[in-house]
Amino acid sequence: MGLRSRIEAWWHHRLALTDTWTLGQRNIYIVPTRGGFTFAALLLLMLLASINYQLNLGYVLAFLLTGAAAVSMHMTHGTLRGLTLRLKPGPPDHAGEPALLDIVITNPGKARYALAVRWRERGRKGQSFVAVDVPAGGQTTATLSMVPAQRGWHTVPSVVVETGFPFGFFRAWTVWRPAARVLAWPRPEHPVPPLPLAQPVAGEQAALQRSAGNELEGVRPWRRGDSLRQVVWKKVARSGELVSRDTAAAGSRELWLDWQATPGADPEPRLSRLAAWVDSAEQAGIAWGLRLPGVELLPDQGDSHRRAALERLATWP
Amino acid sequence: MNLIHRIQHLPREARDTLFQLAVIAWTIAPHAMHLAPWCLGLSAVILFARARLAISGAPLPSRWTLLAVLVLAVGLTLAGERTLLGKEAGVTMLVVLMALKTLELRARRDAMVVFLLGFFLVLTNFLYSQSPLVALAMIVSVWGLLTALVLAHMPVGVPALATAGRVAARAALLGAPIMLVLFLLFPRIAPLWGLPNDAAGRTGLSGSLTMGGVAELANDDSIALRVRFLDRAPPPEQLYFRGPVLSAFDGRDWTRPRRADPLLPPPELDLLGQALRYEMQLQPSRLALLPMLELTPEVRAQGPAAEDFLFTRRTDLQWATDRPVDSVLQLTARAWTRYRHGPQDATLALRDDVDLPPGFNPRTLTWAAELRRRPDLRDAPPRALVNAVLQHIRERNFVYTMTPGVYESRDSIDEFWLDRQQGFCEHYAAAFVVVMRALDVPARIVTGYQGADRQVVDGWYVVRQSNAHAWTEVWLPGEGWVRVDPTAAVAPDRIRLGISLQPAPGFVAGTLNTVSPELAASLRAFLERMDQRWSQWVLNYSRSRQFDLLREFGIEAPRWEDLAYALVGLMSCIALVGAGWAMWDRYRQDPWQRQQRQVAERLAALGVAVADHHPPRTRAARVRAALGSAGEALAATLEQLDAQRYGRPGRHRPEARWWRQFSEEATNTARALQQKP
Repeated sequence: MGLRSRIEAWWHHRLALTDTWTLGQRNIYIVPTRGGFTFAALLLLMLLASINYQLNLGYVLAFLLTGAAAVSMHMTHGTLRGLTLRLKPGPPDHAGEPALLDIVITNPGKARYALAVRWRERGRKGQSFVAVDVPAGGQTTATLSMVPAQRGWHTVPSVVVETGFPFGFFRAWTVWRPAARVLAWPRPEHPVPPLPLAQPVAGEQAALQRSAGNELEGVRPWRRGDSLRQVVWKKVARSGELVSRDTAAAGSRELWLDWQATPGADPEPRLSRLAAWVDSAEQAGIAWGLRLPGVELLPDQGDSHRRAALERLATWP
Repeated sequence: MNLIHRIQHLPREARDTLFQLAVIAWTIAPHAMHLAPWCLGLSAVILFARARLAISGAPLPSRWTLLAVLVLAVGLTLAGERTLLGKEAGVTMLVVLMALKTLELRARRDAMVVFLLGFFLVLTNFLYSQSPLVALAMIVSVWGLLTALVLAHMPVGVPALATAGRVAARAALLGAPIMLVLFLLFPRIAPLWGLPNDAAGRTGLSGSLTMGGVAELANDDSIALRVRFLDRAPPPEQLYFRGPVLSAFDGRDWTRPRRADPLLPPPELDLLGQALRYEMQLQPSRLALLPMLELTPEVRAQGPAAEDFLFTRRTDLQWATDRPVDSVLQLTARAWTRYRHGPQDATLALRDDVDLPPGFNPRTLTWAAELRRRPDLRDAPPRALVNAVLQHIRERNFVYTMTPGVYESRDSIDEFWLDRQQGFCEHYAAAFVVVMRALDVPARIVTGYQGADRQVVDGWYVVRQSNAHAWTEVWLPGEGWVRVDPTAAVAPDRIRLGISLQPAPGFVAGTLNTVSPELAASLRAFLERMDQRWSQWVLNYSRSRQFDLLREFGIEAPRWEDLAYALVGLMSCIALVGAGWAMWDRYRQDPWQRQQRQVAERLAALGVAVADHHPPRTRAARVRAALGSAGEALAATLEQLDAQRYGRPGRHRPEARWWRQFSEEATNTARALQQKP
């Protein structure tokens, strides 16, 4: 680690983690770009030409451009000043899948142009950034993506918002360390392993037989989280109401996704297998439960159930 | 219609490129007057080709093609100018490079190069002309270039040209104070190294004469100098102000002799009769010479402006300065209108003054040989030859006119002297010198001013640029160099009355003059006033004017350092203003939000708690709930605000009147509440 990157790392860790980041003199940095230095050299050349040829209009031109460049410094700084950044994490996803993060830029003042939003750490693919304008008194969202390598909670990397507007003679930027964290579920095993066998539910056998022959027994109104597979479309077509199969009635057998049923000693492949089972069980439309050492989720179905299970897998132990 | 539609619906990239090309073409356009035709043609073709590529979206040509065109351009420049350095060649190359670079707009860096070249191209226009018109055209250029630069830094969507134009104009206008301070106070210094010969521009007295050169000056009514005689005024026909003496002739141009002659002894000079004491106020000419009255042996300068000038009298008796005159010079001197100068006996150096380029003007040479063979002139002294040629001018149908047309042929003296016989001072002077040399009499052209305005203001004679004149000197044995003005032979009034050259009125001016002389006169007066301001504040703004400015602000004896202090001080102030604005801008809020906060504060004083995010409607409800009937009026004003902000049409900014009304109601409510318990 070179001295320069050490200094940068030290400086970077001094920044506080915050949820919102309002830009002002204290957190906007500005330096001339290479183009700016070239332009300064041109101005000097123009001045020399004006002196040597005694061109008063040449002086006017050189000084006009000097003035415009000086003003452009303020305009570049002003492009960032007063903006507020907020982070809106998207829904969690499996590790290895890109997680989308919305950075909401709120502008209390006049329209701002040509903001580039990017991660501070530049990826291997070179600098990829999102260019946005922010309308006067409005908001704009720039979406960045990060790919978490492992399951669990991840801190969001530092965000850089920079601009060279209007002339590109100066570059102003800010570095923000968002306090938000992103959850990554375990990477599902691939190819998807077959589901374990479902087991008959003790004591439910009799109840099911009691209600045999009564078609309406296994139907209940549609609830949030019911998958399309569960909807009884024939009834929906007839009655116009959205109804689902009652899983308690349908599931004469229940499926347990059990830690004990996964082979090996390394916990990560076992969690990966469980994650793959959760997804395929959900797709199959069967009620399933999850058993981890110290954690038990009773059999159920639906998106919220799946999320709860994957969250436990992500944060276990 | 179709074209406009197509241009409006071009992809953004193509539109930006076309805009950029238009700006570049506009910047190059003023150069059309003095650039080589091949350069103009090549640039036009390249720009046009680039525009077609932009519209069709075809790929740009390869590097090798560009390199080939560049080599061709360098070759043509070398062939035309015989060098790649110097003004003409430099500008030619710059224009070609600029055009070629548009074919290479691949990356961001290329765009930057185009802008930088563009700004420098703007500067080169000022090498040729610093007129208000050119300045105006270049302001448009700079604006266009800045707009294109802004466009290049707006990557999102399709930004309107107008938006980018506004941003560019804003930067330039806000930068204007900086420009003004720098322009007024940046210390003007002498050129850092020797000026190239062509720097002075090509006005009439620049030290070379081509057919038509003085005619440019005829259109220039500006004042060249003012003269006041302290004892007695000489008659107008003796008002000859000596400028460059031209004796080298290459068939086309008259120039000073190439050989510098510092080793020659000072010219023999006999001053006869009484001296004329005079004062001269020389306007800045941007030429390195002092046109002094013939003949002035010594010059003294007055005032601070003259301090850093070095005056020298050349061996041809012309007064030179070490650098172009860029401020008004006050001079005092004595002149002798009768004098004798030059060697009394023939010397070898005089042989240079009978030199004629071989092969030029053969018919004039034949004509001179025939004159020589005339019986009465066969053995005549030079004086008789001079008189015979002047006699010839007087008797033939020679016409003095400012619009003789253009003498284009290679043997222009033949064309003038034998065929057309129409011209003005420079034609007569040039032809006379050629004829004299053909007769083996040493002769040379003298350029300068002759005559003055007939109105004398407070004893000051006004000499204008249109008084520019060319006459001759002939060497006669025993007398030295003697002034002969062939123009006097054809147009005696021109010399006797000092009437300046009158250009033929143009079509517009002519019509205006016949329709309304008053309007024409007042228009001319207005333009003259504008022109005077322009030259006073822009063209001739110099060190002495800077010191004058400081004196107006109470600095008794301004020095160079004072300028620097003033400059640094003012720039610091401007920087502080900028920093202050940035500080204030940080706390600036949306006006609605500010009002919301103020309203919340007033309501809190009345005991009504509202949150920042509550709209006025909710606040009105809270007021009603908390204060009951006492708060009714106040709640009504809040509802009014709600309608103003969210109703149709919604207001853009809060209304000041509403705040006054609300504040009154709040005071009333507070009073009512106090009385109640």
